[in-house]
Amino acid sequence: MKFIILKRKKPLKGGKPIISLYSIVLGVILFSLILQATSKNFLDVLRVILMSFTSPSIVLDVLALTMLGYALLLSFKAATWNIGAEGQFFVAMIPLIYLLIVKYPEFPLPGLMVALATLLAGIMGASWAMLAGLIKAHTGVNEVPITLILNYVAYYIVNYLVYYPFRGRHVYGYTRTDELPKHYTLNVYLKLSSPTPESSPLYPVLRWAYDITYQLTYYVYWLVVAIATALVVWFILSKTTLGLRLRALGHNPDFLLASGINVKKYYVIALAASGFFVGITSAMYLLSYAKRLSYPIEAQTAGYGYLAILVAWLSLLELKYIPVMAYVVGALRNAGIALQITGLGGIEQSLLIIGTVLFSYSILSFLSEYEIKVMK
Amino acid sequence: MSIDLLWGIISAYATLHLIALGHSVFEKSGLLNLAIDGVFFLSTGVAVFVACSTGSPLVGSFASAVVASGIGLLLAYVMTVLPISHGAVGLSMMFIGYGLGIIFGYPVRMFVGGIATYAYTISAETYVTLLAATLLVSIVLHFLLKETKLGIMIVACGENPAVATALGVDVLKTRLLAAAIGFALIGFGSSLFPLLWQRYWDIRSYTLGLGWLAFTVALVAGRHPLVLIPVSLLFGGLYHSCILLTATLRIPVDVAKSIPFIAALAAMIIYSKTRIGKALLPPTSLGKVFYREERAI
Repeated sequence: MKFIILKRKKPLKGGKPIISLYSIVLGVILFSLILQATSKNFLDVLRVILMSFTSPSIVLDVLALTMLGYALLLSFKAATWNIGAEGQFFVAMIPLIYLLIVKYPEFPLPGLMVALATLLAGIMGASWAMLAGLIKAHTGVNEVPITLILNYVAYYIVNYLVYYPFRGRHVYGYTRTDELPKHYTLNVYLKLSSPTPESSPLYPVLRWAYDITYQLTYYVYWLVVAIATALVVWFILSKTTLGLRLRALGHNPDFLLASGINVKKYYVIALAASGFFVGITSAMYLLSYAKRLSYPIEAQTAGYGYLAILVAWLSLLELKYIPVMAYVVGALRNAGIALQITGLGGIEQSLLIIGTVLFSYSILSFLSEYEIKVMK
Repeated sequence: MSIDLLWGIISAYATLHLIALGHSVFEKSGLLNLAIDGVFFLSTGVAVFVACSTGSPLVGSFASAVVASGIGLLLAYVMTVLPISHGAVGLSMMFIGYGLGIIFGYPVRMFVGGIATYAYTISAETYVTLLAATLLVSIVLHFLLKETKLGIMIVACGENPAVATALGVDVLKTRLLAAAIGFALIGFGSSLFPLLWQRYWDIRSYTLGLGWLAFTVALVAGRHPLVLIPVSLLFGGLYHSCILLTATLRIPVDVAKSIPFIAALAAMIIYSKTRIGKALLPPTSLGKVFYREERAI
């Protein structure tokens, strides 16, 4: 019996999203099997993963990953692989911490200062990403190693800043910045009493609805910015010449070259635009959730910059699937934390599940254009 | 120069050199290796786990080589028989490598702690043997790639796998061999990081990005086994000295740690903008999907 790979003549049944679905299922099974080898029960792992899809704490991850997913989409659409969102995310925090925590903790117009700092965070993210774009454009070196190496440089620069000039005065011996003053934070507290009584049969559902509402209210500013980001990215890609050229760069760069368009310029623009939205996400993360940075910074987040790659790829570079995949990836990350693999925390737990799902996707993605036939 | 500094530089050189050499052999066959940093970290985890379980650092190093070789074979197989993106597969394997590395290494950190007693002995004999071995491996690989049928087949697969097939080369078998050799070297070289150079293992080792430095070393040296020797020595020396700078010149540790990465970026630019880049061109088909209509798998 032989397996033959042929160019697909008819489109894949169920469309391309079926590949993402299969990838997630296969990736989760692979992940669970690996954990079984480390004496975790396969079914227990699957149960925890399924439960994580309804956890209210997922709201934070969905918001962060949705915004980062859109940010990466801008460059991925241009076949410019921005793997450096992790570094851009941290570098973008530099102007925020400097302005809001170190220099002007008591500025009389906090709204204006927050808006300015957020904009600067975007510009900082864009500049950092642009650096990779310029190197690619002028040297021809693949952007993947450049953006990855820049992640490490970013880690060390921000670590240095947190350790020395940004180190707080009210940190009780910890190596971290001071906390963001309350008037700069972007949170709204839900003023609604929690559901009672606990004995009611509806209590679990009401409690869940309350917790989700609480989370959505708490991050409502971020939610608005995330929706705005989605609209802006959609507008850029669908309604502007820039978007058309970025998409053409992804599909057929030779066409752009033949049209006399400076392709190198668009590599730089794709990365800078992507970095800008990574910077805005970083601002939302700091203003709405983290409120400060601790040393070493690479241990602080869930590796959002890397998780967002998974979101963008699993969404098949389709705008409408980004929030869905952000939800799936956020749930998988939460599952990783809930599983407490060998007592590890944070990003470490997410790495394996990112890898198994992404590996499954990388393998299965060819099925959208090819089919396998069995020959006897 | 103190003897400790010399031993440190030799360790750093040997680690980077073997990883970059293995990476070069793999990429010479036309397969893009973006899994390098994850495989580096996985290999360190396997090395300390096996070394502490058996009491022998050499067994730890060989176990790393075997595990890494297995990963290389898997990558070479899927990248050759399926029309899939080398970049995506490599990156996903990088994450898997990080995750598996933690699973192997964490029990050691948890239940053993310091691994210095399981590491290679600090002696002139160890370092001189290692230095001689790395030089010998480089020369042998140079000879293999230039003068043997297998080497010519590997290079042919990297330049134009379709033409190589037409000339009777079995691209899959050739790439599998290149992957087995290349990743075994990556695994062995990576094991030297915890068992010889640093003499410790930590979860956070994956944030060091040493695999990406080796990637740069291979790129700048044009994947040439002999050119890799001075380039690895330069970067290995720089990396090791940067750690020392923090103690001697009181440079903040994070500034010192960033120097090799900035140097890596600078080296990439120099490589691409000068004659070096033109003299040491990458394989023409590097990272390109090798698809033939109606392929049997």
